[in-house]
Amino acid sequence: MDSLIIEATEDSPKIIFDTVSNRFIISGESRPENAGKFYTPVINWIVNYEDTLSAKKEAKEDSVLIFIFKLDYFNSTSAKYIMDILLIIKKFVDQGYNINIEWHFDKRDDDMLDAGNEFSDTVDLKFDFIEY
Amino acid sequence: MTQVSTAFEVYKFMSEKNILVAFTGYFDHLVTTSLLKNIKNKLSVIQSATGIDKKVYNVLVESIENISKYASSRNPHQNIAMLLLCKSDAHFTVITGNHILNNDIPALKEKLDKVAGLSTTELKKLYREQMLSKRTHENSAGLGILDIAIKSGNQIKYDFKQLTDQTSFYLFQTEINIQK
Repeated sequence: MDSLIIEATEDSPKIIFDTVSNRFIISGESRPENAGKFYTPVINWIVNYEDTLSAKKEAKEDSVLIFIFKLDYFNSTSAKYIMDILLIIKKFVDQGYNINIEWHFDKRDDDMLDAGNEFSDTVDLKFDFIEY
Repeated sequence: MTQVSTAFEVYKFMSEKNILVAFTGYFDHLVTTSLLKNIKNKLSVIQSATGIDKKVYNVLVESIENISKYASSRNPHQNIAMLLLCKSDAHFTVITGNHILNNDIPALKEKLDKVAGLSTTELKKLYREQMLSKRTHENSAGLGILDIAIKSGNQIKYDFKQLTDQTSFYLFQTEINIQK
């Protein structure tokens, strides 16, 4: 399956979902005019990628999937889509995938750190918090 | 000369009231984006060391999105709205104003009063419930006002000024404390 790359715009984040390194990065600012239109294909891609992984027998044990959130700002509508993505990741963890989640935040931005903690608690997944 | 005098009055008023940004006009996503870009630059110059610029930016975006959602879905001919950003020594104040149908006031008032009456802990609990609830609209999570109340840490304030039998001007205010 091909990697998914979407360039950032003034109101939507950059997506680099790399199937070679299994690093999935969402970065930048997220307040798209139509959040559903932006996030639905992204979410579908993740679900489809898991389908292709599960078809390969050894994938679950051998590979580590790294989800990296490095957002400068996201609005509350985007927050709910991020939650959808995390709930899918949670399912993958429950299925036995090795997954790391990195939550990057500006060291001046307590709200971004709080948001990460809140997501982590709500979905019951461990995040690695990395300040920049 | 009258308009020149008016302009000077506006300038004096804005200076005295510490109004950093005042905008009235048609709000849509494009206008919002250019306004936000401008304000973001302004904020980062003013006070970036503490990160308060980010908090103010957060509240601004959610406040503006509240206007545009409400205006476009309920009142298509009244997208004219207002945004004010003020700064005193103690806090930043974000105020939005937009036209609203009088019939819509009771439901909105109920929603606002509910949020205004909650503690931070209660707000966060409600935010989490809403976050996990089934989506009812693909471009609105119903989290905006909650998010504003949580991030600002202050009680939201609002008012409705009646304009006609059918419409009112809805004012919504949030303060963000400047940590000393």
